[in-house]
Amino acid sequence: MRAASILFALGFGLAAADATAAAPPQFNYILHCQGCHLADGQATPGKIPPLVGAGRFLSVEGGRQFLVRVPGVSLSIIPDDELAELMNWMLYRFSAEDMPADFEPYTAEEVGRYRQDPLVEVETVRAGMLGEYEEL
Amino acid sequence: MDSRNWIDRRFETGARYLARLTSRRSFLTRLGTLLVGTASIPLLPLSRAAAQAADTGFEDPDIEGDAGDPMNCNYWRYCSIDGFMSPCCGGSASSCPPGTEMSAVTWIGTCRNPADGHDYLISYNDCCGKSPCGQCFCNNNEDDMPAYVTARSNNINWCLAHSTTAYNSTVALVLGRADG
Repeated sequence: MRAASILFALGFGLAAADATAAAPPQFNYILHCQGCHLADGQATPGKIPPLVGAGRFLSVEGGRQFLVRVPGVSLSIIPDDELAELMNWMLYRFSAEDMPADFEPYTAEEVGRYRQDPLVEVETVRAGMLGEYEEL
Repeated sequence: MDSRNWIDRRFETGARYLARLTSRRSFLTRLGTLLVGTASIPLLPLSRAAAQAADTGFEDPDIEGDAGDPMNCNYWRYCSIDGFMSPCCGGSASSCPPGTEMSAVTWIGTCRNPADGHDYLISYNDCCGKSPCGQCFCNNNEDDMPAYVTARSNNINWCLAHSTTAYNSTVALVLGRADG
């Protein structure tokens, strides 16, 4: 398990070196997100929530908006079109198995609308939504 | 009849038994083991830090023409560093000083390598777990933003997200190319 995660991380690092220019979402991820969310989207317990499993929110009412309203996304300096692309990239990258079959990719217009309303009580809303997800 | 009381007798028996089992040499042997063993303990954080670097997937590929002096604040990788340069503190541009641990959570920016004219993604991981190094403070703020744009500000102690929050120094890892 440990060896596998190291190999995965190294593989991602090598891929990043080759693909950053050709793949803006991955470049944006490294520059704007990876510092906290790490190369593999894992949590730093008690400090930073995971991106792994983020797709679960899409199955809960308000979850699609929640993922864009969290501070790291809504308050980022990434323009709407790149942000929409980055959201879709992150969800499939870190949470492919949680994605609902009928998922419609985020659009720039939609992301621009949701981020007008940044979330303050992130932890409370997050816990509530994950509770709802467990009951599905 | 032995006139001593039973406490005296028991202690005498115990002392003779101990004297048969041990010698001054064996005492020295054990003391030596204890001293060497204790001296080795401070080495442990080194290997933990190395293991952690591997876990986080950070790597530091050799770059052709990676010229310059990592102990100089003008070294190209430091274009957006804010802290004590690790090479001045016993580490290197890509490794933390002995006794400190590299934070996984970090600040990432880009710098242009004058040797090949390309931009690279640079990760400024803080070295945590010891008091501030105090040597070679370097504060270059290319693309740095005010602290209220937290994720884009390098003026933050990133050890706050680490298990030991004391800040010692900072490294500058190359994550990959930022341009074509």
